[in-house]
Amino acid sequence: MATLKTNQPPRQVLFVDDEPDFLRVVQESLTPLCDGQWEIHTASTTDVALETLKQQKMDLVAVDTNMPVLDGVQFLKLLGKRHPDLKKVSLTAFATEANRSACLTAGAELFIEKPRSLDGFKSVFAMLDDLMNWTPQQGFQGMLRRVGLQDVIQMECLGRNSSVLEVYNEHVFGRIYIENGSIIHAAGGDLTGERALQRLLALPGGSFELVPFEPPPQITISGPWEFLLMEAARVRDEIASQTVPGEPEVDPKTLAAPEAPSVRVLETLICSGAGRPLYDADCANVAGRVTLLKNIARHAALLAQIVPLGTFDRLEMQFPDGRTIAQTRPDRMVFVRVANEPSGT
Amino acid sequence: MKDSAQQWLVDRALPPGMLACGLRRPDGKFICHSAEESCPAEKMEKILGQFESLRAAVFTDNPAPHWSTWNFDRGQIRIVERADGWLLGLVVRADSITAPNLDPLSREFLSVQFGN
Repeated sequence: MATLKTNQPPRQVLFVDDEPDFLRVVQESLTPLCDGQWEIHTASTTDVALETLKQQKMDLVAVDTNMPVLDGVQFLKLLGKRHPDLKKVSLTAFATEANRSACLTAGAELFIEKPRSLDGFKSVFAMLDDLMNWTPQQGFQGMLRRVGLQDVIQMECLGRNSSVLEVYNEHVFGRIYIENGSIIHAAGGDLTGERALQRLLALPGGSFELVPFEPPPQITISGPWEFLLMEAARVRDEIASQTVPGEPEVDPKTLAAPEAPSVRVLETLICSGAGRPLYDADCANVAGRVTLLKNIARHAALLAQIVPLGTFDRLEMQFPDGRTIAQTRPDRMVFVRVANEPSGT
Repeated sequence: MKDSAQQWLVDRALPPGMLACGLRRPDGKFICHSAEESCPAEKMEKILGQFESLRAAVFTDNPAPHWSTWNFDRGQIRIVERADGWLLGLVVRADSITAPNLDPLSREFLSVQFGN
């Protein structure tokens, strides 16, 4: 990922963020990394950014998703109209599926979580530098973004494809095996199975590549991919809640992370957005659960009218002995009930 | 002079990223602190009312959750309910440092003793 020194003029990169402290950290962290190969510009408002773009042609603009007045998504759309050839990237402090989808739809080529450590800035630098050097090539390659990697897995599973995702950074190499649309094995560092999948999906940075399928050395994962991805997101959140702010949740060298409490899945139901059951496991009252999901979606819509928090994703309910997650999206509804397992089991 | 519940809420109110927090007593009285015009006290009350409406529709035959978290792309609403009728509502921005700290705060609310 190292940038070769050339006689080419420096790349012009503009960061747009309403937090001056973050822009200062961007300058301080990326300047030594880019070693003169980039010229870094910053703008704390979209107005300043547009003025800067008038004065200087940029190779890439990185936009904070959460800004006042004109938010990141709107600004990306505006940039797409005014500067259609400009490469655009979204930076966010909190990656959600809805946010990711909105930014990519608005024209961002990458959706990246804001770095919180020097290693994180190194990863972001490598991603952005790769993006500026990127030219289309045969096959599929991508930069690792937490949600983006999940997206590729989702595409492979929805398409009932067979493939292997190789996930790597400078310290760790991992593989996720997908056969006929099912995730069947994952390995990374010393881990295999669902835990390896969860940790690979929680890596703070790196790259991934989709390569042709080959049979894995063993089958370690089963179950619907929707649940596996949702559980990976849940575990990542659990790990994040036990991590010192600013530190990566997963060690990028070893995949080590604080242990999240183990759980046992009691019940799973996946429906279409209209409530048509697509899959269930141990769900004793499918109709009742569908009604519950519809009720939750209705109440979420009312809550969204009361306070402007954006698009609803899921309701998590904590009970003394476990938790329930109800996700309601226009295209899919998921209900999962899990029980806490005593530690050590 | 503030009572213990008011003081508890004041002490925990509005860390960075928390848009509003509200506490409803078992007698129905409501206390709220708000950091944003978009989430004033009357909206907090509506949010708690919305939760009660869902609970009435869904949990009549089942135990209600200790707490529930409504996750939106730009923020979360956390509702915590005690068996003795106290109800806590929190609205936080999704990308704030406060969001990961909602669980400890919720556990504290469930166990704290409020005077009459």
